[in-house]
Amino acid sequence: MALLRPDLIQALLPARERERIESYALDDAGAGTDAFGTSATGIGNAYAVAYWLHRYYFRVVSAGHENIPLSRGGVVVGNHSGVLPFDGAMVSTDVFRHTDPPRLVRFMVDFFVYSMPYIGTLFRSLGQVPGTRRNFDGLIEEGHLVGIFPEGADALGKPAEDRYELFPFSHGHVELAARHGAPVIPFGVVGAEEQQTVITNLQPLARALNLPFIPVTRTFPWLGPAGLLPKPVRYFIHYGEPLDIDPAVLESIEVRASEVERVRDAVREQIRVGLEHRRLVDEGRA
Amino acid sequence: MNEGHEDDRVVNVNAGSDPDPDPARSQDADDQVRQIMDSTPTLLRPGPRRILIAGARRKIAGELIACLLEDRRIDKILAVGEGACPPGLLGHDPNRFMYHTATLDRRRQVDNLFLFEEFREHPLDTVVHLAFSGNPKGYDVSRHEYNVNAARHLLDASLRHGIGKYVFLSSDAVYAVGPRGDYKVAEDAELNLDPSSPKSVRDIIDAEFYCRAKMDSPGCEVMVLRPAGVIGGGVMSGLNLLFESHPPVLPIGFDPMINPTTKERLARDIQLALMLRGKGVYNIAGPSPGPLTRFLEQRGITPMRVPGPLLRQANRLQRMIGQTRYHAEYQPKRLFYSLVLDDARFEAAFRQRASMLSAG
Repeated sequence: MALLRPDLIQALLPARERERIESYALDDAGAGTDAFGTSATGIGNAYAVAYWLHRYYFRVVSAGHENIPLSRGGVVVGNHSGVLPFDGAMVSTDVFRHTDPPRLVRFMVDFFVYSMPYIGTLFRSLGQVPGTRRNFDGLIEEGHLVGIFPEGADALGKPAEDRYELFPFSHGHVELAARHGAPVIPFGVVGAEEQQTVITNLQPLARALNLPFIPVTRTFPWLGPAGLLPKPVRYFIHYGEPLDIDPAVLESIEVRASEVERVRDAVREQIRVGLEHRRLVDEGRA
Repeated sequence: MNEGHEDDRVVNVNAGSDPDPDPARSQDADDQVRQIMDSTPTLLRPGPRRILIAGARRKIAGELIACLLEDRRIDKILAVGEGACPPGLLGHDPNRFMYHTATLDRRRQVDNLFLFEEFREHPLDTVVHLAFSGNPKGYDVSRHEYNVNAARHLLDASLRHGIGKYVFLSSDAVYAVGPRGDYKVAEDAELNLDPSSPKSVRDIIDAEFYCRAKMDSPGCEVMVLRPAGVIGGGVMSGLNLLFESHPPVLPIGFDPMINPTTKERLARDIQLALMLRGKGVYNIAGPSPGPLTRFLEQRGITPMRVPGPLLRQANRLQRMIGQTRYHAEYQPKRLFYSLVLDDARFEAAFRQRASMLSAG
C-alpha cells in the first residue's frame, strides 16, 4: 500500500513536471475536490503514470498546441478508436504537458463508465464527467476545455477494415459550442487505431450486458483482460485551428448539419496530417 | 430594514396629506395606504409572524422553533405533532409557543388548528409542513394517508384560512439518481418516478404535486424546499443514519459526490424561506460538495466495503443485529452515484438577503 502513496507516485516525475502539477489551479469546492469531483491527488497520480506512457510507451509526437486556448473555454473534438480509450488519456496528457499554465481536457464520457466500480470514481477524480448537457454547460461556463468524441463510444470497437474512417458525428457538440460561443478545436489521433486489431464486435452480448461493444481482437478474449492492453504504437496528435461555430445552428437543422460536417472535415484533415507525418517518420525523413 | 422602510412610507403618506376631519375620507386614505403597502414589492414579509409548524417532533422542527423564537418578529408558534410534546420544546416561553397534538391525516383536526382562540384576533399567517414519515419500515396505507393527506389537508386549510405562506419540506430523494447524473442537480432535474422506488418517496412526490398545483394561488406563497441530506444532530435523515452506523457499509469501488447540510443550516434556510417573500421549488444544500468518504474521514469514521450486489443484504443483516438504522432500500443508488444539489436559486433569492433578517 505504501507504494500507492501520492508523493511516491509523483516522485517518479521529473521536477519540472511535478511543478506543472502543483501549478494546476484546481478550484477546490471545500472538500478537496472541485465541483465536478476532480481531485488534485487524482490528477497528480494519473499524470505521473500517463507522462511515462506518453513519453516512452506511445512516444507521442504532437503539433498545433498553439491552437489550444490558454485561458477561455473550448470544445476539443477528435476521432476515437483503440478499444480502450488511451487516445483520450494521451490527448489530455499532451495538452497538460504542452500548455502553460497547464490545462486539463475534461472529456464527456459515456454513462456506462460510471456504473463500473473504481473506473467511474477514477474517471471523475481525473475531471472526466458523464456526457450530459448540464455537465457540458457547467464546464464551459467555468472556462474549462471540454473534450468530445462525437463518434461515440462505439468507435472504440471500430473494426480493422474501417481504420481512419470516421463514424458519423453526433450533433450535440456544435449546438453546445454555438450556445456558449466557444471555439471548436479539432484534433486527429493517428496510432490508436493500430494499438488493437478488432476482428469483430459481439453486439448481441454487448447489448445484453448494456455495454457499447465487446470486441474480439487478436489478443482478446484469448489472453483474458490483459488482451485488452494496447500495443506500444507511436501516437501522432495534431490540433487544428479553432473553428467558430455559426450561431445559426441553433435555428436551422441544415446549418447544424453543415457545421457538423465542417468539424468532421477538420478532424479528417488532422488525421491526414498525422498519417503524412507518420509516413515521413517511418521513412526516416522527419 | 424593509419593515422600517414601509413604516416610513406610512408616515410620509400620512404626513403629506392634509388633515381630514371626514372619517369616511380618512378611511379611504387608510385603504389607499394599505393598497400601496400591499403592492410594494418588498422582500421581507411585513408584520409579526404567527407560524404553525406541523411535524414538531422532528429534530429539525426543534431546531427551527429555537431559531424562530430568537427572532422578535415571531409573535407566536403553534407546534403540532403526534403524541406528547418533546422534552426539548417544554422550556420555551408559553406566551409565544404552544404545542398541540393532532392527527394530520384527519381533515377536521387539521381545520381545527386554525380556529384556536389564541389566533382569533391575530390569525396564523404561515404554515411549515415538516410532518412526513420517510421510514420505509412498516409502511402501509395509514403511512400513505398520513404523508399525502396531511399535506393536502394542511394546504387546503391554509388557503381557506388566508395563510400567506406555506412551506413544505420535501427531500432530495425525489431526484432520480444514476450514472447519467449531472454534476449539480437543479430543481428541474428528472424525478425518481421509477415504479420500484420506495413508496414513501412516491408519497413525497405526491405531496409535492399538491403543492405545485396550488402554487399560483394569489394569496398564498407556496414553497417546496428540497434539502440535501442532513449530517449530525441526531436527525433521521438517510445520510445521518448511514454516518451513525457501526460501521457504515458502502459498495466497493464507488464514492459518490454529496453536499450535505446540517440541522442548523437547514433551520436557518427554512427561517429565511418563511420570513422573505418567494414561492416555488427550491433546492437547499450544504456549503460544499465532496466525495462521501471525505465527509466520513472528517468525522473519523472508517466505512466497511462490500461488493455492490451484496449491499442490501449486508445492510439487512446489519439492521437485524442493531448496528444501523440506515435503510439501503430507501435510495438504493445513493451510495453508488453522485447527488449534489444545485441551490444557486435559493442562494440568490434568500441567503444573499439574509442580512434583511438581522437588520430587521
